Amino acid sequence: MGDKRIGTKNFGSLYTGGRVRKRREWRGIVDTAYDYSRWLYNWVTMFRVVLVKPRNIKALFRYRWMANYLAVPMMVDRHTQGLRGEHLRICHVEQDLIIEDVAKLLDKLFRGDRRIGNDTEFSKKVVLVDENEMQSIMMGFPTLVPLSREIASTYIPVLLNQRAACHYIDVAQEYGLAGDVCPMPEAEAGLSIDDDAPVLGACAVQCNTTCDGSLMGNGVISKRLELEDGIPVFQLATPLRHREDDVQEYAAQEIRNAIAFIEEKTGEKWDWTHYFECAKRVNYATKCRIEWLEMNKTPYPQVFGSNLALYTETNYMAISGRLPVFEEADRKITALAEKAYQKKKIAANEYRHRAIVWGVQSHFYMDFLVWLLNCWGIVPLTDMLSMVSTKMIAETDTPENREQAIYDIAWLTENMIMRNRTHGGYKVLLDELWEFVEEFNADMVILWEHMSCKALDGMHGQFEEKARERGIHLVWVSHDLFDPRVISRQGVRDQINSYMRTVMQEEPVDPSLETLDDAESW
Amino acid sequence: MKKIKNTLLKLLLKLLLVLVSFIAVTFVVYFFNLDMKLTAAMEPILFKFYDKVKRDQHL
Amino acid sequence: MKDLKHLSYFEDLLQDANNELVVQARGEGKKCVAYVCENTPEPLLNLEGCFSARLRAPRTSSMEMATYYLTSFLCEYSRALLERAMEGGFNFADCLIAPDGCSMINRCVENMELLHCLDQGKENFFYENMEIPMKADDNGLNLYVLQCKNHILKPLHEKFGIDVSDAAIRKSVAEHNRVCELIRAIGEFRKGDKPTITGYEFSVITLATYAAPKYLIMQKLEETLEELKTREPDEKNPFRARVVIVGSEIDDPEFIKLVESTGAFVCADRYCYGSFPGRDPIQLTEDEDALTQICRQYMYRGQCPRYMDQAKMLGRRAYVNQLAKEYKADGIIYEQVKFCDPWAYERMVGTHVLHDDYGYQVLSLDRPYNVSGVGQLRTRVQAFIESLEIKKIQGGAK
Repeated sequence: MGDKRIGTKNFGSLYTGGRVRKRREWRGIVDTAYDYSRWLYNWVTMFRVVLVKPRNIKALFRYRWMANYLAVPMMVDRHTQGLRGEHLRICHVEQDLIIEDVAKLLDKLFRGDRRIGNDTEFSKKVVLVDENEMQSIMMGFPTLVPLSREIASTYIPVLLNQRAACHYIDVAQEYGLAGDVCPMPEAEAGLSIDDDAPVLGACAVQCNTTCDGSLMGNGVISKRLELEDGIPVFQLATPLRHREDDVQEYAAQEIRNAIAFIEEKTGEKWDWTHYFECAKRVNYATKCRIEWLEMNKTPYPQVFGSNLALYTETNYMAISGRLPVFEEADRKITALAEKAYQKKKIAANEYRHRAIVWGVQSHFYMDFLVWLLNCWGIVPLTDMLSMVSTKMIAETDTPENREQAIYDIAWLTENMIMRNRTHGGYKVLLDELWEFVEEFNADMVILWEHMSCKALDGMHGQFEEKARERGIHLVWVSHDLFDPRVISRQGVRDQINSYMRTVMQEEPVDPSLETLDDAESW
Repeated sequence: MKKIKNTLLKLLLKLLLVLVSFIAVTFVVYFFNLDMKLTAAMEPILFKFYDKVKRDQHL
Repeated sequence: MKDLKHLSYFEDLLQDANNELVVQARGEGKKCVAYVCENTPEPLLNLEGCFSARLRAPRTSSMEMATYYLTSFLCEYSRALLERAMEGGFNFADCLIAPDGCSMINRCVENMELLHCLDQGKENFFYENMEIPMKADDNGLNLYVLQCKNHILKPLHEKFGIDVSDAAIRKSVAEHNRVCELIRAIGEFRKGDKPTITGYEFSVITLATYAAPKYLIMQKLEETLEELKTREPDEKNPFRARVVIVGSEIDDPEFIKLVESTGAFVCADRYCYGSFPGRDPIQLTEDEDALTQICRQYMYRGQCPRYMDQAKMLGRRAYVNQLAKEYKADGIIYEQVKFCDPWAYERMVGTHVLHDDYGYQVLSLDRPYNVSGVGQLRTRVQAFIESLEIKKIQGGAK
């Protein structure tokens, strides 16, 4: 192996049974110093963007979900566990940028929030978007500020603290919502019911991604947002059978209608020059992602696991080419990955299995893929959420391309993360998995079974049968997305542990990680 | 001239000392996860505030 | 009341998806178009030479095989259908048309396709999945029309040689409307203080119109309507309260029977397989093609919670209020089949809105697909009826 890996054993000894870990990892002088500098940088970012402003402190004491942001540095620690050299740097480029982006999101939310900053002029420039919404719809509005309340209040908090959504899930259920629906829209609905969402914006665009639950949860949110707060809401209906030719015109018209709605409510006009600038960046991000995935097909994958998933979700969905800084990050990541690839570097002590991670990941345990690598040497080559559109979109401003652009935005919206696989017929979920298994030369499929995701559950038997026919090791990992009370992190790990021991007859690479006392952890 | 030089040197030394102390302290905080230990202790205090906030809870 | 002459006939039709009228129609050389969702325009499935059968799985008990394929988290309706399909219970179908109405029914049908449950040995069998609008507007209408053309009319014509012309569609609508008018007229007998038809009887008759070829059931419906005109109600009204049932699919009249056994008269039925709005006649004019008019009416009248625009969401609750008023309901029962995502939300919101904004007493419950023998459900309904009764008594004392 071309990598001297210092301190990459007995990670389990860092766990305490409480909220946080005993200490941070010793990664050797150079890497520890680097990690320390990034830790310092992230704290400075959080102070600079959020904590120095009194209105944000006020928000910290108003919104329950803000407490979870206390755990930001720990999230980075969880995702960098065991990483050294280029891999550590790739992870920091991704994570640190996401932290900065989220910090800015919080600051803007509270600036416009009627309860906190109440900057009405700023609020008039804000367009609220859904958590699961491709922000490509905002690529032609450079002067408007798209903000997602749900990303700030539920999506990110659960990444930070596994129990972040429990309170809101309970609120929704107290109001009579069945306990078997997906806890993500359930928590978002609960948050709205609990009066814990910032109120701002000239208008809002909701969408029907990703599932029936998400669509219905939006109904709860818009009831308050539109009927009480007076913020007009456009429901962007995106076709489910997104691979069919006969839905594309409908999808495109929905985009035209959404743009017209935003123009009407904000007084701003769609800017084609800016749109095509963003389109270039979308294509660059796609090109980079394809390169990373190509590398992952070789014995030396470089950008993979939870970092690939998190970064793709952010860059593909929430950024959609709007911010040049992400293009810079794409460039840095690609350069680091190429360097590591040339040196044939690996990101853990031992690679034993090559796995495709499919299904919807447990959001409260995003760093499970890091554990998978460190504990069992299973390399998560790619995951379902990263296997999004690889189509290049029109990027030069011509009259034909302006028409094409509407179809491109519609295509991207239809192919939003997760829904591009969980909807659109069984081929995109079931058949294409086996194609990826072959392409990536994988010997294993880790199949997240998000138990309340009906679109996934509905293919359960088919996954099993097809894996058996092909002789692929398929390991089910059940979880309830946002709710660790249903299946805990250890419960998640145990499903792998028992498969690896009983079926594969293997011993862990790092036995100290097999059972961890992290039920109380953030 | 020498006096100015000495003053500058002292200033630099002081700055260096401050910098080294800052790095030493923050590194200790970093390595022993003291920042997270502190924020973990803050969490229950914040929850008490949240429970007191008046909310218009309804569908 | 004296038993309805044809009630047991209608009940028998519901005992098996492949009922005697389905067998008869197939024997006459007609093609059976199976479907699974109320968002599939029925008149298009009942063109000359074919007839529709909305799939049900009566008398379902074990769903183990389907649970293996779909897990226990999918609604029991979709699991019961898949189980029945695997058992060969839907082999009478010549094709299956399914809109992407909800994830669960979509997966159910996809599994039927992957497991070749219905199509074995049938050369021209086809499965079609349709995209259907999620908002009621012009764009949604264009989609609906195109999807009906591509996924219903085109395959019916190409595979079975069915005439899908405007004239043929209009003829089918006329037959569909006759059934709807009969059901509406029969349903009117629920409005009186001493109703001459029970909710259970009405649900059996309505359900039969979904499960059997329309042209074969017409005569019995007409006779039933005539019979009702002279039917004498019981001296003493056996019911203590009137309720509207609102919610997800109910293809088992036993549920209505269970509610009525506790003393509540089910005066209106706002659920999939119910008569509101499923048995609203379709009004056609000559100045526009029939297909567009059918789709428009299906889209605007649809009460399915998958419609996500604000007007539709508000409209759904206003519609329940309107029914409750028209049928003089004392209370509303919001129900959902367990694990149904769309109705889980709609039930929660509807329950609060109908209570808080419209002032009704509302019972909110989830139920299994097969309700017979569910004591817990009976107890909950019983308690609700008693609360309605108490309210009436207190109201009377004022």
